Amino acid sequence: MNLTWTQEERDFRDSVRAFMQTHLPQDIRQKTIKHQRLAREDYVRWHRILAEQGWGAPGWPVQYGGTGWNNLQRLVFEIESYRAGGPRLLPFGLSMLGPVLMRFGSDEQRARLLPRMLTVEDWWCQGYSEPGSGSDLASLKTRAERDGDHYVVNGQKTWTTLAQYADWIFCLVRTDPQAKAQSGISVLLIDMRSPGVTVRPIKTLDGSHDVNEVWLENVRVPIGNLVGEENRGWTYAKYLLGHERTNIAGLGHCHRELAHLKMLAAETRDENAALIERPAIREKIVRIEADVMALEMLLLRVATAGDGAPGPEASVLKIRGSEIQQDLAMLHMEIAGPDGWPYDPGWIVADSAESQTRDLHAAAAMAGYLDYRKTTIYGGTTEVQKNIIARMVLGV
Amino acid sequence: MDFVLSEEQGMLEDSLRRLMADQWTFSARRTRHAAGGLDRAAWAALAEVGVLGLTIAADYEGFGEDPASLLPVHRALGAALVSEPVIASGVAAATLLRLAAENESNTCQAHAQSAATALLPAIASGSAIATLAYQEPHRRYARQAREVRAEPVEDGYRLTGTKTLVWHGAAASAWLVTALLADGTQGVFVVDRTTHGSDRVRVDDTPTIDLSRCATLAFDGLLLPHHALIAQGAAASEALDGALDWGVAALCAHAAGAMESLVSSTADYLKTRQQFGQPLAQFQALQHRLAEMLIAQEMALSMAYVAVAALTEDDSRRRRHRVASAKLEVGRRGREVGQLAVQLHGGMGMTDELAVGDYFKRLVAIDLLWGDAQDQLSTLEGML
Repeated sequence: MNLTWTQEERDFRDSVRAFMQTHLPQDIRQKTIKHQRLAREDYVRWHRILAEQGWGAPGWPVQYGGTGWNNLQRLVFEIESYRAGGPRLLPFGLSMLGPVLMRFGSDEQRARLLPRMLTVEDWWCQGYSEPGSGSDLASLKTRAERDGDHYVVNGQKTWTTLAQYADWIFCLVRTDPQAKAQSGISVLLIDMRSPGVTVRPIKTLDGSHDVNEVWLENVRVPIGNLVGEENRGWTYAKYLLGHERTNIAGLGHCHRELAHLKMLAAETRDENAALIERPAIREKIVRIEADVMALEMLLLRVATAGDGAPGPEASVLKIRGSEIQQDLAMLHMEIAGPDGWPYDPGWIVADSAESQTRDLHAAAAMAGYLDYRKTTIYGGTTEVQKNIIARMVLGV
Repeated sequence: MDFVLSEEQGMLEDSLRRLMADQWTFSARRTRHAAGGLDRAAWAALAEVGVLGLTIAADYEGFGEDPASLLPVHRALGAALVSEPVIASGVAAATLLRLAAENESNTCQAHAQSAATALLPAIASGSAIATLAYQEPHRRYARQAREVRAEPVEDGYRLTGTKTLVWHGAAASAWLVTALLADGTQGVFVVDRTTHGSDRVRVDDTPTIDLSRCATLAFDGLLLPHHALIAQGAAASEALDGALDWGVAALCAHAAGAMESLVSSTADYLKTRQQFGQPLAQFQALQHRLAEMLIAQEMALSMAYVAVAALTEDDSRRRRHRVASAKLEVGRRGREVGQLAVQLHGGMGMTDELAVGDYFKRLVAIDLLWGDAQDQLSTLEGML
């Protein structure tokens, strides 16, 4: 065991820092730091800048156009990217479907789809949850029936993040209605432009539109778009979820928010002093700082433990990561204080007219506080994660 | 002490609950908020049922009820998420006017009495809406006016500066504005929007996170007559403190009512929503979280009682201490209950499609109104 950073690792960190300094566009950085919503174009532009550098897929092996970085390097990249004000990387292709295709997809699928993920030629979204199947995902009802060399898909997906921008959706569908819940499920890749695909927006607590319903009515999908084997989809889905849980620990986000809130608490004053002088605020900052340190080391331990998909230990990360993100969002709102009360969802859209005339940091704090409630719900609720820990880690 | 409602209080509560069930439904609330301003028909219904003049003295054509009646009434209004300015006008502003008029050491007592005689009956009937304008930009909850100044001029005063976070500021017909006077003390002015003109005030009306509205008022040399000054110096601060204590007590009852609604709608959701072949309510982990909601709600409701009970306290320091403690607890517990309700509703709780989000946001807003948990902590730490 050696718990110090090597010179090589430090050099790597410096090279990421230097790159961010020179290549992250100022406008994207500003929007990200101000917690404004990024446009589709902003994401695409940033991904292409990274791809140009050869960093389009920090988590992928070199043979697929990835960086070939080890898990430690990936983590350093995430932290430094966030620290510099870089937006989050779209996870749908890079962290979700990509690894599944590498492991279970066909050569043809890998050759056709992976390169396009690097540059967001294809924007992917995830068709997992359904109105009746949230925590109990395996009860999903979307049906795919064989008809010659096509599947005909009928059903409804929900909570589909950024489906309004997507070109493709990877869907869990039921191919064998007779089989027991988990064993009749397959993964299908569906072109969002197919006839019968309808996207309907879902407005969330902060009034914004990030998630959608995706309706599938007699959608014809070529059988070549089946991933792996028919009725083995649950195995692939679980493989993907393990990746998702480490991804949504949100370490980079936590580091950036913590630094941001320290600055904000020092700048924001009441009648007598800066808020950072208040014992209650100081205590919260100090506690969260310690929590983030623990989260980082936990992530390093889990991430470097093996090469395969993370095991059930990822649930510990998901629970703590999501809770710390919520603590930060709540602290942000407390620092904003009374000014968080006036609110219009239109204000926090990037380049809104109000963003020119109003100081919207308090509105962004309110939006963030409400929006981050989702972190303990999505990707498996905290309650479900605790069941996983009890059953799979502790064996009780 | 007697926790049983009197017959009259019980009847009022019943008729309120009926009115709420009929006219403050989820869709009615949403429709009114989307329309932007104050819905006059809804306002008239609240006036008619008698909640606007509830604690206004009979001499001023109110019902002269004991402050204890604030509890069942605002609990019922909170349970139905009423957004109209009942607390802003009928409780807080009315209390400020009364305290200024009653205070014999108030050098402007005569002005205050005329203002009370003119405004309180109109507040009770709903024909006038008054609201406090005391907060100033970047000064959080400071209760001593500094940015808004009143300079003496020949026929009265000239008001300059900006007030912010004025609850229902655009719908109000009268603002009770605190301002720094030439002698360095603060005064409270009644700004009657119909008679004092509006060409020298810019009103920036915005929605709030909780289906309500607030305004920023920018005064640019608004001229006011001498008699607009209704309290000065210590009398002004005492009237403002008292008004906020009454308002906060009503807010606490409102929050407790909102929490009760959330607990019961969350319990219903758990009984209905099926996952893993059974209702969510069968899972012990979720039962415990629901129990945590109830515990928080009971603590908050108890603190609403503490706050309302404190209003009859003669010692203003003791009153402030108890009301601040109540607001601290209610602010924290309200957020806790709202967060748990969202968590237990899962993805559906995150949407704008259910009432659970509206209740959650109201509870968050109540924490931010008239002193958030941080502010109450500072107040209480200062009194330790």
